[in-house]
Amino acid sequence: MASREVHLELLLGKEVLDSTGQEIGRLEEVQAKQSGEDWVIYEYLVGPAARLERLSAWALGLAILRLFGAHKVRRGYKGYRVPWDQLDLTNPEKLRLNCSLDELKTISEKLEAED
Amino acid sequence: MNKILMIALGILTSIGGFLDVGAIATAAEAGSEFGYQLIWAILLGTICVIFLVEMSGRLAAASKHTLADAIRERFGISFYIIPLIAEVFVDFLVLAAEIGGVCIALQLVTGISFQWWALPVAFAIWILLWKGTLGLIENGISTLGLITLVFVFATFKLHPSLTQLGAGILPTLPREDVTHYLFIAVSILGALISPYLFYFYSSGAVEDKWDEEYIGVNRMIAGVGMGFGSIVSLGVLIVAALVLHPKGIQVDSYEQAALMLTETFGYWGFILFAASLGIACFGAALEVSLDTAYIVAQTFGWNWGESLHPKEAARFSLVYTVFVFLASLLMLVGIDPLQLTLFSMAITTLTLPPVILPFLVLMNDKSYVGEYRNGWITNSVLIFTIALAFILAIVAIPLEIIGG
Amino acid sequence: MDLIRDVLDNQLVDRNQHKIGKADGIILELRDNQPPRLAYIEVGMPTLMGRLHPRLQRWIIALEQKWGAKHSEPLRIPWSKVLDVGIDVDVDLEGEATTALTWEKWLRENVISKIPGGG
Repeated sequence: MASREVHLELLLGKEVLDSTGQEIGRLEEVQAKQSGEDWVIYEYLVGPAARLERLSAWALGLAILRLFGAHKVRRGYKGYRVPWDQLDLTNPEKLRLNCSLDELKTISEKLEAED
Repeated sequence: MNKILMIALGILTSIGGFLDVGAIATAAEAGSEFGYQLIWAILLGTICVIFLVEMSGRLAAASKHTLADAIRERFGISFYIIPLIAEVFVDFLVLAAEIGGVCIALQLVTGISFQWWALPVAFAIWILLWKGTLGLIENGISTLGLITLVFVFATFKLHPSLTQLGAGILPTLPREDVTHYLFIAVSILGALISPYLFYFYSSGAVEDKWDEEYIGVNRMIAGVGMGFGSIVSLGVLIVAALVLHPKGIQVDSYEQAALMLTETFGYWGFILFAASLGIACFGAALEVSLDTAYIVAQTFGWNWGESLHPKEAARFSLVYTVFVFLASLLMLVGIDPLQLTLFSMAITTLTLPPVILPFLVLMNDKSYVGEYRNGWITNSVLIFTIALAFILAIVAIPLEIIGG
Repeated sequence: MDLIRDVLDNQLVDRNQHKIGKADGIILELRDNQPPRLAYIEVGMPTLMGRLHPRLQRWIIALEQKWGAKHSEPLRIPWSKVLDVGIDVDVDLEGEATTALTWEKWLRENVISKIPGGG
């Protein structure tokens, strides 16, 4: 069983490319849940391209939106939900999806619908 | 009963602690050079600071996080490292200026040059931080700071014309020296809206273990305390306008500023000015030193707390120790305190946008402040303040060069 | 659990509610055909600096190795020690027994105690 260590904090904000090499956004959040005794990753959130780390124009915009009553602007709205098996972390400098953007959109929407 | 006492004490310390070297210098310059024309700047700055201080306190009470904690956690180190470095740099200059204020006060009274006082004053600041508790500093020194009410007293004794005062509430441009006027306006705003206030206030709230029950207390202290505190600042401006301006005395040095109370109090006015300057700056110096230690320790997750014994917060204590003595060196080598004050007030404005922007997200984020999110009025004032901060940051340096 | 929002950069507190640093890094273990596992929380100035620039990281490591406590290894907290993720991240450790406070202790013994009133 081959295993490797990855520094999650270095992946934050890195560009994510799809299987065709197209830039789809930046890694914004990583979601984990318990699986037996371990905690494992089950989903990544990849936000729209061109942002400033975690302080983003989006966050600002979010805040302003909420000002005007948009309290239900949900996280899932922010970007794509990527299941753990679709993101290849073996090269931390080049995060690649195992699928194409269109395939991701389908998967993402399905996850949204399930929620 | 306890809450009422706390509010009263908080208001008193806010009034007593309102003035610092920046507020005094900028108000004195404003009054001596432009009469009542810059009253609006003090009022504007006060309104902004009331809202920002209230938010700092609410953030601390609701989230149990200090501002520095919350910014690093919510936005990450890659964002926060720049405001952090900028704030430490500005704190350094401001601290040197505050120490300078105390040294000048001593020079006024004893005649011994301020440079000689640099190290003794630094030592006095240090020993209070080292051995004192937050309560002693917040309450003790700030209560002594109530001496600055002499400016309010003098204002009443000098009978300013209310209609003329009222004219100063609205912003107007002078007929000449427009760039200098704008520079003083920017400096006043920089002196009043100081980031160290927010960091310090939220740290104090967390150290005092505020929780949701203190939200109301916080609002009172911020609103009433800062509001009344600004009256002292206005007092400095008005007295300068009434005493120095007609005589054409432009405040180029603190010695000239010190003359402003002599009309009301005679020789004692000189002493009272020095005492006010010295005590206000001493209190501010304590706050700024602590502020630096707070934000550094909070950014890196070190143990922190003024009321802790230095043994229990070694890195935290070391930060303020080194900082105080390094800052005093600027005064030791003889940098002009007044010039440094005005310069550092302008520089402060550069650090405002990255400090205030996070409020917009944090104070509307349920996971931090829960049900105590900003209302639309607060958000509007906040957005206005952010816009103002950006404008100030852009014009500060050019104005310093042209109109400083 | 949102790792970046709720764990990374959050304050770590030990069994006695003492602050032992922030979660500067999170180590994942990649496994074949299995989701990545949360292995450690990493605490340390080098880890933190590494997020800003690798040169900064090298510089901090060199500094920490040459001076004072002469310790630059980051602390790795196994995920099994994480008790709760709330306002702070509670870990089931004795802070003083870990290397998280190595510098704090060194300064306490070699600098603070030598200053009058600090002993």
